[in-house]
Amino acid sequence: MILSLMFFDMAYWFYLITAILYIGNWIFRRDWIGSTATVMTFIALFANTMILVARTFESGHAPFSNLYESMVLFVWAMAIGYLVMEFKYKVKVVGAVVMTLAFIAMIAASKLPYRFQSIERLNPALQSIWLEIHVFTTFIGYAGFAIAFGLSIMYLVKNRMEERGAKVSLIDSFPQSSVLDELSYKCIMWGFPFLTTGIITGAYWANNAWGTYWSWDPKETWSLITWFIYAAYLHARVTRGWRGKRAAWLSIIGFLAVIFLYWGVSFVLPGLHAYA
Amino acid sequence: MEKIEKQEVKILQTIGDKIWAFFNSLKLTLTVLLSLAVVSIIGTVVEQGKPLEFYAKTYGERISSYVLTLGFHDMYHAWWFFTLLVFLAANIIVCTIDRFPQKWKASLEKRVDVAPQFIKNLGNSASFTVNTINGGDVFSVKNRVIEILKKKRYKIKNTDVSDGAAVFAWKGTAGRFGSDIVHVSLITILTGAIIGSFFGFKDYISINENETVNAPKSNFQVRLDKFWLDYYESGEIKQYNSQLTVVENGKDVLSKKIWVNEPLKYKGVWFYQSNYGMAYDRIKEARLVLKDKKKNQIIGEPFVVKWLEPFKIPGTNLAVNLAGFVSDFGFDEKTKQIYPRSPEHNNPAIQVIVYDNEKPISGPWLFLNYPEIFATIPNTNYDLIFMGYQGLQYTGLSMTKDPGTNIVWIGSIIMALGFILAFFIFNKKVWGRIQKAENGVDIYIGGMINKNKIMFEREFSEITACLKTEVTQK
Repeated sequence: MILSLMFFDMAYWFYLITAILYIGNWIFRRDWIGSTATVMTFIALFANTMILVARTFESGHAPFSNLYESMVLFVWAMAIGYLVMEFKYKVKVVGAVVMTLAFIAMIAASKLPYRFQSIERLNPALQSIWLEIHVFTTFIGYAGFAIAFGLSIMYLVKNRMEERGAKVSLIDSFPQSSVLDELSYKCIMWGFPFLTTGIITGAYWANNAWGTYWSWDPKETWSLITWFIYAAYLHARVTRGWRGKRAAWLSIIGFLAVIFLYWGVSFVLPGLHAYA
Repeated sequence: MEKIEKQEVKILQTIGDKIWAFFNSLKLTLTVLLSLAVVSIIGTVVEQGKPLEFYAKTYGERISSYVLTLGFHDMYHAWWFFTLLVFLAANIIVCTIDRFPQKWKASLEKRVDVAPQFIKNLGNSASFTVNTINGGDVFSVKNRVIEILKKKRYKIKNTDVSDGAAVFAWKGTAGRFGSDIVHVSLITILTGAIIGSFFGFKDYISINENETVNAPKSNFQVRLDKFWLDYYESGEIKQYNSQLTVVENGKDVLSKKIWVNEPLKYKGVWFYQSNYGMAYDRIKEARLVLKDKKKNQIIGEPFVVKWLEPFKIPGTNLAVNLAGFVSDFGFDEKTKQIYPRSPEHNNPAIQVIVYDNEKPISGPWLFLNYPEIFATIPNTNYDLIFMGYQGLQYTGLSMTKDPGTNIVWIGSIIMALGFILAFFIFNKKVWGRIQKAENGVDIYIGGMINKNKIMFEREFSEITACLKTEVTQK
C-alpha cells in the first residue's frame, strides 16, 4: 500500500465530512456542529499535509510535478487560507462554500486519469529549484482566488436579498454583503501578488531552461488572461459603477479563467506545460 | 498674427487636454484590461506561427483569409494587439502622473487640528464624555490617547487648541504608493520587452562532438567536447549534458558543462541545451569484418575503422577508409546522387574506400540492414561486411541574446516591492479631539484606512475600548 494514497483516501473522506459539517452548521446553526467542523478541518488538513509529505518521500522530489500533486497542494493551501480567515474574521458560514469547493477539488483529483496521478521522475526541464518556487507561489494564488470565488457568489446572493429586502433565513446567516465584498477583496489581495510571483518565477525559470522568458505558450497566455481579469477587478473596486456587483462578477469570471488555466489548458491546448 | 497663434495654441491645448482626459480614466483601464483578456484567448485557440497553408487547410479559404488579414496567426505581434498594449501603457502613465502629485502632497500634509464634525464623518468614529471626577482634564486625556496610539505603533502629532487638544496619528503611508510603484514596474517590464524585441536575437546551432562552430552574429566559436545523457535507475532520461568550450581568436576562453536549466553565458549570449541526436552525415567509427567468398566464412576478428582514418586490415594487403555515411540511404535516379531520406537512422549506410597496396580499387556503399549487397571486393577472395557503427553525437543549442531581460527582472523586483506596499501595508489615519465640556471632557476619535476596512474596524474598536476603560478608570 502506498502511504500517500492512504492519506489521500483519508483526506478525501475528511474533507467530505468537513463540508457536510459546515453545511450542517449553516442550516441548523448549532455551535457544536460549527466547532466540530473546525476541528475536522484541522484533521483533514493534517491528512492533506501527510499526502504531500509521504509523496515527497515516495518520489524523492517536492510533490509539485503533476496535476494530481498540484491539486493536493491547491486544496491544502485553500484549507489553510480558509482556517486563517475563520480565525481572523469568525465567519463560519463561509466554510460551507469553501470546504465544499475543497471537496470538489478532491473529487476532481481522484478522478484524474492514471497518467496524471502516477509518480513520475522529473524530466530534465523540471529539475530546478524554480519548480518548487513557481508552483508553490502559483497555487497560493489559485487558492486565494478559489476562496474569493466562493465569497463573491455569496456576495451576489446576499446582495440580491438585501436589495429586494427579502428574508430567507438561510441567507440571513451570511455576513453582510459589504463584509463578503471586503473578504473576497482580501483574498484577491493575496491571490494576485502570488499569481504574479508565480508568473514571474515561471518566466525566470523559462529563461533559464528554454531561452526565453515569455513564449506565448497557452499556459503562459492564460495566466496572463487571468492576470488581466484580476487586475481589472482591483481597478473595478475603485471605479464608479463597477464596485460591488460587477467586481464580484469579475472575481467569478477570474476564477473560471483559473480553472481553465489550470485544467483546461492541460487537457485541451497543447504546449510546453503539457505535464501539468 | 498674434491672435491666430494664440488660438492655435489654445486649440492644441484643448486637444492635449482631451487626449490626457481620455487616457486619465479608470473606465479605459477596465476596457483595455478586459479587451486584452478576451483577445488573448484567440491566440490560444488559433495555432500561432504555422505556415500559411496550414490555416487554409484548417479553416478553409474564406475564413483563413480573415484569420490572416487580422493577424490571428501571429496574434501577439499583430498591430492591433500592440495598439492595445500601447493604450494600456499610456493609460498607466497618464493615470499615475495625474494622481501622484496630489497623493504625495496629501501624504505629507498632517492636519492635526480638525473639527469634531470632520471626525464624526470618518468611516470609523466614536465620541464620549469623561467626568472631571474621573480625572478627565484635557492634558491627561490627551496623553493617554497618545499613549494608546503609540502602543499601536502610530506616529503622532498633537497640538493644543483653545478649548482643548488635537491629536493626529498615522501609519503605513508608504502603502498608498504601492500602486504607483507597481505601475512604474509594469512600464519597466514593457520597456525591457521592447528593448529585447529590437536588440535581441534568437538562433539555433547544432555541433557535432569535437567540432567547433562559429556562433552566429558573434565573434567567437563554440566547441562541443562531449555530449552525454544521465539516466535514472529506472532507465528514464534524467538530464541532457553538453560540455562546451568557447573559442575566441583561436584560444579556449571558457569551458562549461551545460544542461537543461543551466545555460552557457558568454558576452551576453546564452546557449541552451535544446535537443540532441546522432549526426546523419557522419559517424565516429564503423565495425567491419572480412568474409571468405568461397567458404562463406568469417575471417579473423572484426576490426574498427575510425572516420576518415585509413586502416590497414591485418594479414592482407588491403586498407580501408571510412569516407561516407548516410543515416537513411536514398538514391536519386536522375542526378545519381546519394542522399539521406531522413535524419533518422532507418537505413544506415557507409561508404568505404578499399585500397590494395595503397591503390584504390573500389568504393562501395555498405548497408547495415543488407550486409550482402555490394559486399564483394573485386579481384580478391574477400567480402567486406558492415557489422555495426558508433554514431556521432551532436548537441542542439538554442542561442539567444536579449539585452532587455535584466530590465524585465529589475521591473519584476520593483513590482514585488509595489505589491508588498499595496497589499500588505495599509495607510491608517486616526484623529482625536479632546474638548473641555461643562463638567468633564468630550473625546472625539475617528479614523480611516485606504483599504482592508474590516481589519481596521477591529483595530479602531480596540483603540476606543482601550481608551474608554483607561480614561474612565484613572
